[in-house]
Amino acid sequence: MTAVGIETSGHDPALEPSSYGHEAAVGREAFERIERTWRSPAGFVGWFTQVNHSAIGLRFIVTAFVFFILSGLLGLAMRLQLAMPLNEMLSPEAYNQIMTVHGTAMMFLFAIPAMEGVAIYVAPLMVGARDMAFPRLNAFGYYVYLIGGSAFFLSLALGMAPDAGWFNYVPLANKTFSEGYGVDIWTTMITFIELSALTAAVELIVTIMKLRAPGMSLDRMPIFVWAVLVMSFMILFAMPSVMVASAFLMMDRLVDTQFFIVENGGSPLLWQHLFWFFGHPEVYIILVPALGIVTSIVVTFSGRPLFGYTALVLAITGIGMVSFGLWVHHMYTTGLPFMGRSFFMAASSMIAIPSGVQVYCWIATLWGGKVRFATPMLWVLAFFGVFIAGGLTGVMVASVPFDRQVHDSYFVVAHFHYVLMGGAVFPLMGAIYYWFPKATGRMLSERLGIGSCLTVFVGFNITFFPMHILGLQGMPRRVYTYVDGLGWGNMNLLATFGAFLLALGFALTLFNVVRSLRHGAVAPDNPWGGSTLEWATASPPLNCNFIQQPVVESRRPMWDWREAGSRTVVAGLSEDRRETMVTTLLDARPQSVMVLPGPTPWPFVSAVAASFGFIGLIFSPWFFPIGFFAVFATMVFWFWPRHPWRKK
Amino acid sequence: MKARVLVDASDIDRFAPHTHPLWWGILGAVAIEAAVVATLLTSYFYLAAQNPAWPPEGVAPPDLFWPTVVLVLLPLSSFTMWWAGKGSDRGDQRQLSIGVTASVTLAVLALVARSFQIAEFDASWNDHAYGSILWVITGFHYTHVVSAVSGTAVVAVLAWRGYFTPERQLGVVVDTVYWYFVAGVFLPIYLVLYIAPRLL
Repeated sequence: MTAVGIETSGHDPALEPSSYGHEAAVGREAFERIERTWRSPAGFVGWFTQVNHSAIGLRFIVTAFVFFILSGLLGLAMRLQLAMPLNEMLSPEAYNQIMTVHGTAMMFLFAIPAMEGVAIYVAPLMVGARDMAFPRLNAFGYYVYLIGGSAFFLSLALGMAPDAGWFNYVPLANKTFSEGYGVDIWTTMITFIELSALTAAVELIVTIMKLRAPGMSLDRMPIFVWAVLVMSFMILFAMPSVMVASAFLMMDRLVDTQFFIVENGGSPLLWQHLFWFFGHPEVYIILVPALGIVTSIVVTFSGRPLFGYTALVLAITGIGMVSFGLWVHHMYTTGLPFMGRSFFMAASSMIAIPSGVQVYCWIATLWGGKVRFATPMLWVLAFFGVFIAGGLTGVMVASVPFDRQVHDSYFVVAHFHYVLMGGAVFPLMGAIYYWFPKATGRMLSERLGIGSCLTVFVGFNITFFPMHILGLQGMPRRVYTYVDGLGWGNMNLLATFGAFLLALGFALTLFNVVRSLRHGAVAPDNPWGGSTLEWATASPPLNCNFIQQPVVESRRPMWDWREAGSRTVVAGLSEDRRETMVTTLLDARPQSVMVLPGPTPWPFVSAVAASFGFIGLIFSPWFFPIGFFAVFATMVFWFWPRHPWRKK
Repeated sequence: MKARVLVDASDIDRFAPHTHPLWWGILGAVAIEAAVVATLLTSYFYLAAQNPAWPPEGVAPPDLFWPTVVLVLLPLSSFTMWWAGKGSDRGDQRQLSIGVTASVTLAVLALVARSFQIAEFDASWNDHAYGSILWVITGFHYTHVVSAVSGTAVVAVLAWRGYFTPERQLGVVVDTVYWYFVAGVFLPIYLVLYIAPRLL
């Protein structure tokens, strides 16, 4: 690759055409007709029929952040309880429920859906498609997530939430030790919500492989799109494992199967294997798209082409693959054979190699550029600090002898908050600051953004750094309190103080978002001078994304167009049907045109039928056949052929 | 900003059932289901390895007759599906209709055979992990045959009503891919559930 094609240049808004002339490009009449074809119905009823990826992606993101706030408040409740020894604010039962819901919701209801949401919103724009391959499936996935997630949280309000920890180990989670409906809610709702992750994964894979704009061969795909592709494949192969595990547990509790009952040939370790075969890739499922976000921001704000494109693609793919060979490092203390542990220790350490390659690519990209320290870039810098610290403790706990000392202690709590918040939340915040102008047409306030970033960074470290030391001093995780005189009080108090600072930092961004929606400066099409195609549409994006679908001739179409003074486009797509180009898998040569479906309520009806079946399964196995045929009936209406258009 | 037109899509095919993105989507669904089957079969062997006797003492491995009948019926139904698709490609609506109807009939017979076989299981799902995994794998596959049969029955109805033309046969193409999977995945299940206990 050539890194010299474009001179290092700071972004000068004056050089950026404030608009690409979306309306002028095709004339007013055609513009309005195309926009009418792609319009999402408004109003309360209309809301349930929308299928455009921009609408669905935004819903995923907003819903995920609502769950983030709720789970964050649960985190604050735990910190308050642990602020001093023998605190009696929360009962042990309430603490266990809050802890379980906090962990489960942060993983399943926030981190994965938020990443999917960003991917669903941004990836189709980046590849120059007018929508995703299966718009109705997209909508279905969202309703499944919304209903499943809400039901899960509702269980906490009803006091019947699961309380066996986010990984729900048997035998604790067996009927004998966990009575009531808590664990049943966990197993059914997790299986159900994963359905939405799987639909999103298939959807993203097909969109990225088949709907790329003509000319965007695989080696011209933005790194973010590569990352989303890798994430989607990981979801495809990791989620079935947790679905099988939770289905086993569901049946053990509901119809007395014996999968995890030792007396009758079952094996509790089977749960751990199945859970972590999903659970470890899961961590990388939320990290990999974050790496894509970081790369996008680094390229834009250094103003020069990426250093080491091929190396980065290989590193991201490598991380995705190696992550499936690490799961046993969560199980070092379960008495596995020595040989097995050694293998997984080597594999766990190996993941540091591709991670290192990426960090050096980013450094090399930043090195030669004139870096602009706008808010998205600040979040990325914070990510570097926090994530590298988490990576270092990761190398420590990958080692068997060290892990056996700190297993189940607060050291592990500190480690995974550094990698998860560092690896996912900081980049996500960067993504919000980076793409907010695109999604809303308004700029976020830089001053509030800087304040938020600094407060979050400081608050985060005050909260979680002391936990390393607490863990080394022997404080176990998942305890609802501790006795006086162990010397843990001060550090816990400090962590609680930090947690409130952290919450304040996030509140600043929330305030920034709400305020900027009304009062923010109006955003131009390409406010940051980005090189990828999402900046080629209006802010907020047109209904059709691109009034003329783009044709791509390099990795940085926006910069090419700026240099050449002209765009390269597709002509001849219908104005009255939802049409988008289908291209070949490797070279993205035009292959056919796909006609996409318009607004429809059936995905919503289907999702309600599926929810009825799954929620019923908490109480009776008969809801399996009932749900199955209810969903089938709605699917027939969903796919029933209509004749909106015929061949000329 | 000026626009240079590099691709004109006016005359590009709008009906390309064999390269349609939905075909890839069905492959995605098949990949997920295959991962589920792989997880179930791995769990079977994991549980087998944890137990001193597999099947447990006093439990006979499932009888071979009915599963072998299914093993013949399902590939046969795939053949009629393939034949139906050939007809559809040529625009022969009659061959298409007869083919998918034959497939549905053969698969319903397979379901009947499978039901006999389930009734003969020596182990119940609720007294040993062996019975649990045996029932779950069987139930999983049974459910898939039921869903393939239901979906294809709808395709058959549409075929008899003359909906499918060579341009508009996407529904047939993707339904066939899923059908091949449901039929084909019975082979590893057969080997693991019925042959493996006799060899191990």
